[in-house]
Amino acid sequence: MPTPDQRLADAFVALADTLDDSYDIAAFLATLTECSVKLLDVRAAAGVVLAGYGSQGTQAAASDPLVARLEADAAQWQEGPCHDCHRSGARLDIGLAGTAARQRWPRYAPGAHALGYTRVAALPLRLRDESVGSLVLLCTGTTSLTQDTLDLGQSLADAATIAMLRERELSESRTLTTQLEGALNSRVLVEQAKGMLASRLALSMNEAFDLLRDYARSHQRKIAAVALDVIEGRVRPDRAKSGR
Amino acid sequence: MTVEGGSSNSSSRRAEAAWQRAALARERAAQQGVHAERHERRAEETGREFHTSMASMHRRTADRHIAAARLQETFARRMADGPTGRGARPVFMTGVAEACGTRSAALTLIGTDLSQLAVAASDRLSRTAQDLEYVLGAGPAREAARDRRPVAAVGPDVEKCWPGYGSGLASLGLSLVVAMPLTTPVGCIGALTVFDPRPGLAESGVFDEVAAALTDSVLLGPDADAGLYGDVDHRPVVHQAAGMLSEQVRCPVGDALALIKARAFALGEPPESIAQRIVSGDLKLS
Repeated sequence: MPTPDQRLADAFVALADTLDDSYDIAAFLATLTECSVKLLDVRAAAGVVLAGYGSQGTQAAASDPLVARLEADAAQWQEGPCHDCHRSGARLDIGLAGTAARQRWPRYAPGAHALGYTRVAALPLRLRDESVGSLVLLCTGTTSLTQDTLDLGQSLADAATIAMLRERELSESRTLTTQLEGALNSRVLVEQAKGMLASRLALSMNEAFDLLRDYARSHQRKIAAVALDVIEGRVRPDRAKSGR
Repeated sequence: MTVEGGSSNSSSRRAEAAWQRAALARERAAQQGVHAERHERRAEETGREFHTSMASMHRRTADRHIAAARLQETFARRMADGPTGRGARPVFMTGVAEACGTRSAALTLIGTDLSQLAVAASDRLSRTAQDLEYVLGAGPAREAARDRRPVAAVGPDVEKCWPGYGSGLASLGLSLVVAMPLTTPVGCIGALTVFDPRPGLAESGVFDEVAAALTDSVLLGPDADAGLYGDVDHRPVVHQAAGMLSEQVRCPVGDALALIKARAFALGEPPESIAQRIVSGDLKLS
């Protein structure tokens, strides 16, 4: 049986471990909710990242599949603890049985209550200044979660946030680096292909470039891709067939 | 609207673009400063490590944006100062070298296979040193990019680290070389090589800052200009010559490129001059 400290450490390590290629936000949120249920003594947890963060739509994961469904619906309805917490940026913790909750969330509150939950807390997932969603904690008791539990929940949410921030930076960086290297490589390939065509067909470098460009246009391909094919001997454009 | 007499249109356009980039970089620095302050306040209120580390991350990013803004501003002032036409000095790289306390600095963009894809140099000495590294396929920039750590050597040690390179550097009258990798969170896109900087500068951390500013803001940022206002040379003639040679001697283009480099090294000439002679038909290699 691991000690509480060990369980805590394991949870933070699991949340920091986004560096493998298989990272996707849904799986990551599932890890967050799993850790939350284990550590916070709640019946169910849901992690929701609302549309607008990254290129994907709303992503919801929960320890209970029915809760995941409810949270995804709630995002559509634009109501519920995740929605309110996201808008205010502040944590909330309220009972689901009373009329106040039903007035506030006419669809979410009865839905959650029907699943057997009596209280809900929501903690913001904050990325720099922007809130991207929330960590929703559902309980079956009647007492509020303690301050310590909510603080620990916020720490989990913050750790998750850092991991998501890092993942977003990595993915942006990967895109930019690939674009730069692609552009630089294209220049090299085009010049090399120009030289080959110039030598083969006794053309000037400008004429060789025109030939490459016209071939790429008439075949609706990128000039660098045609250049690579010329270098590797897969295509042999010549003046007679270039349609000029 | 003001009409600028005398200065060429293209240099005033470039100056304008640089001022804009500088202003954007300063805005981003200010924004990062606001984030940092918020986290510093929260760190004081809550005593949580999370906020302390977020604050210092934002401070580092802010410093990088400021360093980038300074490079752009130096460039913009230079463009406004004097006419730059064909064959003019590499103005942006001159500013980069100055920020590193020297006249000789070069930026090398390197592919994932560690080949040099492009080069930008502040002066003839640094360009000749990069050419030497290009034909040898070994040197400080390549090593810094490969190991993703700074590399430095001085005097006779340079030749020990990279045989053939050190003697070349010495014959240029250069003795100290420091290469900083241009690292991104996912890899490395090249290196900044600084020659004979003012004493004490190598230890000050300023090269790190310039390398980071070049990487994050100038080469890869949201308003990046990977051509460095025309200072970047993709060695078009060398690649044209490699293509021609590969056709003439019926070998893969990579082998043709190696032949050109070998000839340049053997004759002690820049690869461009060998390539130019191949393209013009004056030189046949086989």
